[in-house]
Amino acid sequence: MEKSKGFIIVASKKRNFYSYAINLAESLRDYYEPEEECKICLVTEEQFIDDRGRDVADDIIFCDDHYRAKLWGMAKSPYDITMYIDADMECEHEDIIKVWDEMKDHDVVFSALTDDRDYIYAERDFSTPEGMSKFTLCGGVCLYDMTKPIVREFMDDWWDLTYRQMNDTWWPEGYIDSLKSWDQFSLWWLTEKEEKYKDLKVGIFDDDLRWNYYNALNWAQTKPDNGPVILRHFSAGLNKDTPIV
Amino acid sequence: MSRKQWMDNAFWETEDKKEVNCILELEDDVGRVTRQQMMLNRANKDGSDNELFNELIDALGEEAIDKETIDRVTRKKAEKEEEKMRDEEHLKARKLEKLFNYKMEAFEVEEIKNSKNRKLKAKLRRAKSRIEVDLYSIMILQDQLEAVADGKE
Repeated sequence: MEKSKGFIIVASKKRNFYSYAINLAESLRDYYEPEEECKICLVTEEQFIDDRGRDVADDIIFCDDHYRAKLWGMAKSPYDITMYIDADMECEHEDIIKVWDEMKDHDVVFSALTDDRDYIYAERDFSTPEGMSKFTLCGGVCLYDMTKPIVREFMDDWWDLTYRQMNDTWWPEGYIDSLKSWDQFSLWWLTEKEEKYKDLKVGIFDDDLRWNYYNALNWAQTKPDNGPVILRHFSAGLNKDTPIV
Repeated sequence: MSRKQWMDNAFWETEDKKEVNCILELEDDVGRVTRQQMMLNRANKDGSDNELFNELIDALGEEAIDKETIDRVTRKKAEKEEEKMRDEEHLKARKLEKLFNYKMEAFEVEEIKNSKNRKLKAKLRRAKSRIEVDLYSIMILQDQLEAVADGKE
């Protein structure tokens, strides 16, 4: 039986994210051909849902207002092959349909956090008891195969660990406290330190800038190599706290 | 032991090569290193030779200073061009962010929010300027008013 494929978008905590999520979901439908095969799961708070959400999403899952409900939602995906996309992104190219080809034989696929892009991240390099390290994976987009038990467990653990690091019930010795606010830290921990995930096949999107192009990357004149941007990330330029209207 | 060394990045300040911009690195007896940037004239005010200038020429040679002067001009030009390009890209990114925010505001207008006209909403989303956003907003508004009047909404 063919694996089901779909997108997951999470909008919690702030109403603006719901508006961004609707825009992203509609933009996916604008470019995905055939549109009826574009499956979208919207994870949001019950208080935000309206007709726009009900119209654009095939599946709706209600979450609470946790700062990182994103990870909770990712672990609840109803699709076998799932493409998670940050709500403050927009689809702008029909190659979006090719996203499933990026799965290849990986378990999870991310965009990379490279040295020439690190200026857009608040905190990337950090010291560990074993020496300096740095985040190398960016969680703005994530393609993953939920049919694999290791992936399901990984997604559950990513949420669980992030939840615990943020509410101070888990934190390894020798790491600076400021890292607690980053789900990239729990991602780094699981992929670099956790024995059970040493065989997890983590991949990077081919020409990954096409799949997670931070609008701010323009500042470094960093461009995708093999085609136009597919998913643009507006993270840096949005005022997420002030209501849009 | 003290040491004195002319840095090899000296360059001519004037085309007639009467003035040179250079850096002298000094190390004192206890190993402290200091650098002095200097502007040296070929001749002193009374017309006599400037000994320090001659010392620099002896150390680096006029040809090396000629080459560094040309390289520096090329380097500065490239830096300026890169900076200009970066500024342009920065402006472009900012403009795009503002346009995105503007579209988000448009999508929150009640009639646009409630519109089921996917084609027009897609066009609004693809708009490349504010005026285009305004135009499609008006079209969606009209379409929505008509839909309400026809009892479709």
